[in-house]
Amino acid sequence: MRDDLNHSHDMDRQEGHRGDGVDRRGFLECMAWAGTGLVWVAAGGILSSRALGQAAAADAAPATSFSFVQISDTHIGFKGEANKDALGTFEQALARIKALEPAPAFIIHTGDLTHAQKAGAFDTVTEALKGTRAERVFYVPGENDVFADGGKEYLGRFGGPAGTGWQSFDYKGVHFIGLVNVLNFKAGGLGSLGPAQLDWLKKDVAGLSSSTPIVVFAHVPLWAVYPKWGWVTDDGEQALSSLKRFGSVTVLNGHIHQILQKVEGNIRFHTALSTAFPQPAPGVGEGPGPLKVPAEELRKVLGLREVTYVPGKGSLAVVDSTLA
Amino acid sequence: MRTHDRLIDLRPGWRAAAMGAALVGAFVAPAWALAGPYHDGPDKMVQMVAAATGSPANSLVEIAKHKFSLPTVTVPVGGTVTWRNHDEDVHTVVSTTQVFRSPGLDTDEAYSYTFTKPGVYQYFCTLHPLMTGTVIVK
Repeated sequence: MRDDLNHSHDMDRQEGHRGDGVDRRGFLECMAWAGTGLVWVAAGGILSSRALGQAAAADAAPATSFSFVQISDTHIGFKGEANKDALGTFEQALARIKALEPAPAFIIHTGDLTHAQKAGAFDTVTEALKGTRAERVFYVPGENDVFADGGKEYLGRFGGPAGTGWQSFDYKGVHFIGLVNVLNFKAGGLGSLGPAQLDWLKKDVAGLSSSTPIVVFAHVPLWAVYPKWGWVTDDGEQALSSLKRFGSVTVLNGHIHQILQKVEGNIRFHTALSTAFPQPAPGVGEGPGPLKVPAEELRKVLGLREVTYVPGKGSLAVVDSTLA
Repeated sequence: MRTHDRLIDLRPGWRAAAMGAALVGAFVAPAWALAGPYHDGPDKMVQMVAAATGSPANSLVEIAKHKFSLPTVTVPVGGTVTWRNHDEDVHTVVSTTQVFRSPGLDTDEAYSYTFTKPGVYQYFCTLHPLMTGTVIVK
C-alpha cells in the first residue's frame, strides 16, 4: 500500500491512505454536487443531507479535529532592557489562550520557561498556565531551565516517571514526542539528544503506521538554522531519520525567539516566537541574545501559536499570532 | 696559601651574591614601580614573581556579545581571574574539569577564582557552550 512508500511528494499526498474513505475520485464526485450545496450521506443505513464542509468532518471517524497551543521562551525572571516586564507579556499571551474558541486541548511549552532558573520562576509558570482552560500542559526544557544544576530542579518537576524529561503521548490519533536537547552541554559543543534518547525514539515510533501524524517538540531547533550561533542540534539528523517514513511530521521548536520554517520531504519545521524578547535574525549582528526593539514594536515580535489537526488533511495547520 | 685560597674561594661566591642582589633588585624594582601599596605577605611575593615572569597577578576577562574578551589569559600560581558579564543574557564560567564553577551571572555581575595550582584550565559557558576560554597558570 502507499503507506509504506517513501516518496517525497508535495503537500497533497494523502489521497491514498486516509481512513475516511474519500479518495480523489470520491472528492470529485462530491464536488459535482457542490452546486446544490448539499451532500447526501448514508450512514448507518440512514440517508441524511449535510452541507459540504460538515460531510467531510462527519465521515472522519474515529479521529476528530482538535487544536493545541505552543508557547515558548517565556524567560520568567528576565529583567533586561529588551523587556522590563517579561511576566506582563507572558500574561498577555495567556489572555490570548483563554480567549481561544474552542479552547485548546492542551498546551506545549517548548522550553526556557525560566530565565536562568531564577528563584520562583518555575512556580510562576506552572501556576499561570493552570489558569487557562487547557486540560494539560506538556513541557520540554530550554538551556535556561537546566544549566545551573544539570537539570536537577527541572527534571524533579517535569522529568516524568523515568526522570529523563523526554516523553511521548497520543491524542486523537496523533502521536506527540517531546525531546530534550539541552542537557550534557560540552565545551565548544552544541545541543544534542544523546544515544539513549535516540534509541528510545526509534523504539517509540517503531510500531506506528506511517500514516500516523507525528508532532515532535524540542527546545533547540532540530535542523541547522545557524550552527555558528548554536542554533542546531548536533545529532538532530539521526532523530529525523527515524521519522522520515511518516506521511506527516510537524516539528515545533523554540530557542531562537523568531519564526522560521522549513519543509523537508514530509517534515515541516516551525520555530516559535518568545513571549519575552526577540533575537536577531541568523547572522545579523555579532551573536544571539536579547534584542532590544523600540517599545511600540515589542509586542509585535512576541507571540504564540495555535496548531490545529483536521483528520484527512496531511499536515497540521499552524497559525502564529503576535501580541499586538 | 690558605688565606689566598679562601680569598679566591670567596670571590666566586661574592660574585654570585652580587649577581643575586642585582637580580633581586631587578625583580624588586619593577614590582615597586608597578605595585600600589607595598605591603608584606604573599601578595608581595606574587607581584614580584609576576613582574619577573611578565604576567599580571590578576586578570579581568570581559564577557560581551557572547564572547570572552580574552580567549587565553595567563596568571601566576596564586593569581586571580575575574570575569564580568556585560550582556543582557546570563552567562556562566565553568571549568571542564569541575575545578571552578560560577553561578549564573546577570548583567554587571562578576565572578572571581584564585588559582592555587599550575596548569591549563579550559572553561566554557554552560548556557552557550560555543563560548570557551583558557586560563594558563604557571
